[in-house]
Amino acid sequence: MERLIGVWVESLRVEALDGSTLRESLALLDALGVVCPFTELIHLGFYALPARGPSRFFGGESRVLEVVATVVRDVLGREASLGVADGLVWCELAAREGVVVAPGATDEYRRSRPLAALGRRDLATTGRRLGLRTVGDFADLARARVNERFSGSVLVLHRVARGELDELPGQRDARLGARLGRLREANRPDEQRGFFGQRGAADDRAHAAALRLRQRLGADGVAVAALRGGRLPQDRAALVPWGSPAAPSEDDAPWPGQLRAPSPATVFTRGVAVELLGAANVTVRVDARGTLNTPPTTFAFASGGARGVTWYAGPWPLVERWWAISRRRAHLQVLLDTGEALLLATESGRWSLAGVYD
Amino acid sequence: MFASPPIRPPVPPELAATLRPVSFATNRRIALDEPWRGLVPGEGLRRGSTVAVQAPSGAGGLSLALSLLAGASSRGHWAAVVGVDDPGVLAMADLGVDLRRVLFVPRPRGAWAESVADLLDGVDLVVVRPPSRAAMGSARVLTDRVRERGAVLLVVSESATIWPLPVDLSFTVTHAQWSASSRLEDRTLRVRIEGRAGVRSAEHTVVLPDRRGRAAGG
Repeated sequence: MERLIGVWVESLRVEALDGSTLRESLALLDALGVVCPFTELIHLGFYALPARGPSRFFGGESRVLEVVATVVRDVLGREASLGVADGLVWCELAAREGVVVAPGATDEYRRSRPLAALGRRDLATTGRRLGLRTVGDFADLARARVNERFSGSVLVLHRVARGELDELPGQRDARLGARLGRLREANRPDEQRGFFGQRGAADDRAHAAALRLRQRLGADGVAVAALRGGRLPQDRAALVPWGSPAAPSEDDAPWPGQLRAPSPATVFTRGVAVELLGAANVTVRVDARGTLNTPPTTFAFASGGARGVTWYAGPWPLVERWWAISRRRAHLQVLLDTGEALLLATESGRWSLAGVYD
Repeated sequence: MFASPPIRPPVPPELAATLRPVSFATNRRIALDEPWRGLVPGEGLRRGSTVAVQAPSGAGGLSLALSLLAGASSRGHWAAVVGVDDPGVLAMADLGVDLRRVLFVPRPRGAWAESVADLLDGVDLVVVRPPSRAAMGSARVLTDRVRERGAVLLVVSESATIWPLPVDLSFTVTHAQWSASSRLEDRTLRVRIEGRAGVRSAEHTVVLPDRRGRAAGG
């Protein structure tokens, strides 16, 4: 069961007639989404978010709880009751009780709770008569006995009590997602793109998302593309970190010797070392006149895994600085017996994978 | 006293429940360019839907997914590409993708699902290539979020990383064949397009990429 942080907001439990409850719930959901995008509104008044990811990010569970408490205070101006436990049922209970169940201790916690924690008054009443006071007492009851004494729906609760299920039937408000979606759509600003290069609402939203993501992944986590001149696919296009001061401008000037379309859909900025062999396992080489010493028959990654070469084209020599012998490169297109098409590069007798037409 | 004075006379509650904000059918779909426009029901990707692109390794799945971005990005929609370590930006430009409105998250490491969730708040289309098979839980959360935000999630997968939930629309490459002379010329794909259960599936021939690096009808 997943370790979850639960946020219990008593004042959002009952829906007000003026629709403010739903609006506030949505505002809090969006705010908690900044802490962890996997925050879910399970039902009005109760949010759950995974504990592990944010703990890594914020440096510990108690730091996350502090952040969550601050977020609730900022958004609603009220306090929430927080709790941590494994599984949705016990997370909700822990949040209502305001306790952090230690990792691995949820089983013990579950067994210690009164039977009423399973949310069925009739079960709690019948249980009391049978001398079953806690969830643990109920869990110890044999399945067959539960079956003969109670209706089918209690069997599900029995599985929850045993820790086999981590969600109570009906715990999630199934209609809530659609209601929030409609509310969000009604509030969505007009998304006309700005004229004459003005930034529109859609641009602002995208920038906000990129900013948030950069906070999550680090400065070079989010990138944008820049096209520029150059002969090779990896030279002509580059990813630059989003928000870096000067993104290179587009330059459509024709470059002599550039590879023609189609271009590989995957371009390795740093080539992956590969082997290209001809008959009798001779390494294929491009000689000084730009011809191959032997036609390639086998392609293999340096780590192993050989494939037959069914077709090749090239080499296209590429003397970038012709006076420097060491910079003599050439490209080769190959088709493998798997049907995959690759762009290979060679330099000083070594082959690397430059791109995949995938 | 009213907490906030009503500006208009109140609508009867049973009527209010049936009212929707004004939105046009075209706004509920994100436009596609040819050749996809003619092949996809409704000529676009429905907002709130999850779309799968499946192909064997190296059989054009990535190119196909990127070509689906072209129509959207050229019409001003923002898009994002997550988990494609080394995207062929030049190929994207050839496909007609407006790179000024594409965010890349090349190496999200363990946080690909979180990254997608974040991006669904800000962009209309997210292409993701999950590095491993998505966990049921994250897939469900992401599907819900896509629906709630009215975005479109395009999942590029191979058989090992197939999306664990049913999708609204799927593109499956069943056959890929390069034609080559003195260089690679173009690639012909057989693509099966299926909607949700009950929607007729059909197989189409598409050239992707063609000699100019674009997608074209077969």
